[in-house]
Amino acid sequence: MNLFGFYAANVRELLQLTGQHVLLVAASTGTAVLIGVPLGVLVSRTPSLRGAVLGLANVFQTIPSLALFGFLIPLFGIGFWTAIAALIVYALLPVVRNTYVGIVGVDPAVREAGVGMGMTDGELLRLVELPLAAGVIMAGIRVATVVGVGIATIAAAIGAGGLGEYIFRGVSNVNYTLILAGALPAALLALLADALLGAAERRLVWRR
Amino acid sequence: MTGCRSRLALAGWLALAACGRSDRLVVGSKNFSESDLLAELVAQQIERRTNLSVERRLHLGGTFVCHEAITSDKIDLYIEYTGTAYTNILRHSPIADPDSVYRVVAAEYAEQFRLAWTAPFGFENTFAILVRRADAERYGLRTISDVARVAPRWRAGFGYEFLDRADGFPGLARAYGLRFAAPPAGMDLGLTYRALVEGKVDLIAGNSTDGLIAALELVALEDDRRYFPPYQAAPVVRMAALERHPMLAQALAELGGKISDDGMRRLNALADVERRDIGAIASEWLASNLP
Amino acid sequence: MTPVLEVRGLTFPGRGLNHELSFSVGAGETLVLLGRSGSGKTTALKLINRLLEPVTGAVFVDGEPAAGMEATRLRRRIGYVIQEIGLFPHFTVERNVGLVPLLEAWPSERIGGRVREMLALVGLDPPAFAARYPHELSGGQRQRVGVARALAADPPLLLLDEPFGALDPVTRAELQREFRALTERLRKAVVFVTHDVREGLLLGSRIGVLAGGRLVFLGTPDEFRRSDHLECRAFLEAL
Repeated sequence: MNLFGFYAANVRELLQLTGQHVLLVAASTGTAVLIGVPLGVLVSRTPSLRGAVLGLANVFQTIPSLALFGFLIPLFGIGFWTAIAALIVYALLPVVRNTYVGIVGVDPAVREAGVGMGMTDGELLRLVELPLAAGVIMAGIRVATVVGVGIATIAAAIGAGGLGEYIFRGVSNVNYTLILAGALPAALLALLADALLGAAERRLVWRR
Repeated sequence: MTGCRSRLALAGWLALAACGRSDRLVVGSKNFSESDLLAELVAQQIERRTNLSVERRLHLGGTFVCHEAITSDKIDLYIEYTGTAYTNILRHSPIADPDSVYRVVAAEYAEQFRLAWTAPFGFENTFAILVRRADAERYGLRTISDVARVAPRWRAGFGYEFLDRADGFPGLARAYGLRFAAPPAGMDLGLTYRALVEGKVDLIAGNSTDGLIAALELVALEDDRRYFPPYQAAPVVRMAALERHPMLAQALAELGGKISDDGMRRLNALADVERRDIGAIASEWLASNLP
Repeated sequence: MTPVLEVRGLTFPGRGLNHELSFSVGAGETLVLLGRSGSGKTTALKLINRLLEPVTGAVFVDGEPAAGMEATRLRRRIGYVIQEIGLFPHFTVERNVGLVPLLEAWPSERIGGRVREMLALVGLDPPAFAARYPHELSGGQRQRVGVARALAADPPLLLLDEPFGALDPVTRAELQREFRALTERLRKAVVFVTHDVREGLLLGSRIGVLAGGRLVFLGTPDEFRRSDHLECRAFLEAL
């Protein structure tokens, strides 16, 4: 059966799986931003933490995704929540690291002028550091999202749904149409995320 | 004369290298523990009764992956089930008589793929539609027809192969009029038991010989409309391998009829519940049953 | 009358300011801290607005001990201008100048008016410059904005750390002259750090010479010219 014939016959299922996939990526990346940006800010304020936090996030990144899903099953059970937990872990490093780099990369003269004129730490963060770091932070979010789309295909192995379902079914039954039916939309999602977030990133970057 | 002698040595080595492949057999298995166990058992049997060495490629993948592997000569042998071959590979509509199924399958495999079916082990492993014992008692579930009543409020979870197989979920749903609250969740086959126990799903398709069914307090529902064909387990082996190694057929024949349904369940329990090493389980079984 | 700034017995051995530093500056006075690189003049400046905390000694602003105030409150009463300027690149000129008033929650019309007044004061035509961004300005224009920013909240005290050092000689001379006229008019107390003796003589009502972390001379420009001290003579020779 050719690919378009398959899609035409299974529109509802395709939309449902794509919706699950988008939810997995959006929820996990969003949570990673909520955790990771403050964490990155903290690390920029406390240089002694940098090695530990960035090092730990780095280690998580190296764990093969299927293995991490497996490790988390005893904690969160089978399905959606384990997948979310694992995807958050993978999204953390780009977000935390880019937040840290973005803030630390602010022109020291700008920081000295701000502090010297009587800005509190909170005012400095809100008015100067975060706006100037926004472009770099968005680049981290973009990387986390694109990587997340890929890893979310593995989530189907543990019953979390998403486009990986097509891929796993296809592999199991040696059905190449089915494999492609899952892989193609996933790739398109990744490209779309990259394009949209890349545009947002360009708008946030400040030239000196 | 050194030139001649070295050329002779080279030819000798080449011949030996060619023989090397023929002295070795590759045994594969599907991606669940019963298949791994039986493959290991067969491998050890071959090694002790013949002079062949056996390479194991266990847990390769599903039915179609193993079929691809053996028809493209990547493996020489794996354990298959008659009903699976009958409905999925040969695409026949299911019938009930085990002997007829076996005969058709053996004949057509020989003709189409040059693959031979040797003697079945003696047990049947059919799909067990499983629910939690508490639910079976609360809703009075004994057969799959009973489940059709509660299905609209339930969620099902299956391994990826069962989701798409001709004798899998789509046919089952049609045969029994099963309609669940949502499309079934797909996941790695091994995880479906956990999902059922955790309450993430309410019905799964396990194997009737699984060791976990009793251990996890699950109930297998009766296939009252006889939807599933008979599934007898037997080694499927390349005819070319049988022809090259005359001792092979005899070693495999010795295994025929030696494992009952309960026998297989006990072996599976050793592997899945007690988590013992399958190499040890296989060698112990061979030592006590085929000394 | 209490001096605007009084500094008593300050040291910071970590950066070579080993000997107790004391001086005072009144309204309308400009004290130039003159010294070679590494003489401790920038350190001395940073001890006043507590970017560095003194190891010994005390600082008083309008008679109030600086150590007793919250650091941010102290700094908002002191205008601070640095050599690299440090304008916020993502703020317009108007927002940059109005920073401290914004932090102090002035009503927005009052901020707007004040910004326009300051820009005019430093010679930048408000309608032309208010909406521009720092990267669109020349070095001299940027430092004028820096000075305007420092003056916006009307602080009694200004601290400047080699503010014109990165500018070309013509612009530098222009800004020096305008700065002198401005601070005399506004009656600000100013501490001005520089290594440029010409600049010091032009701008200072008094000159303090730092050498090796110690204040070796403190007096009027005339006294400086007549001084026998080695360091003073060294600077004069460089004229």
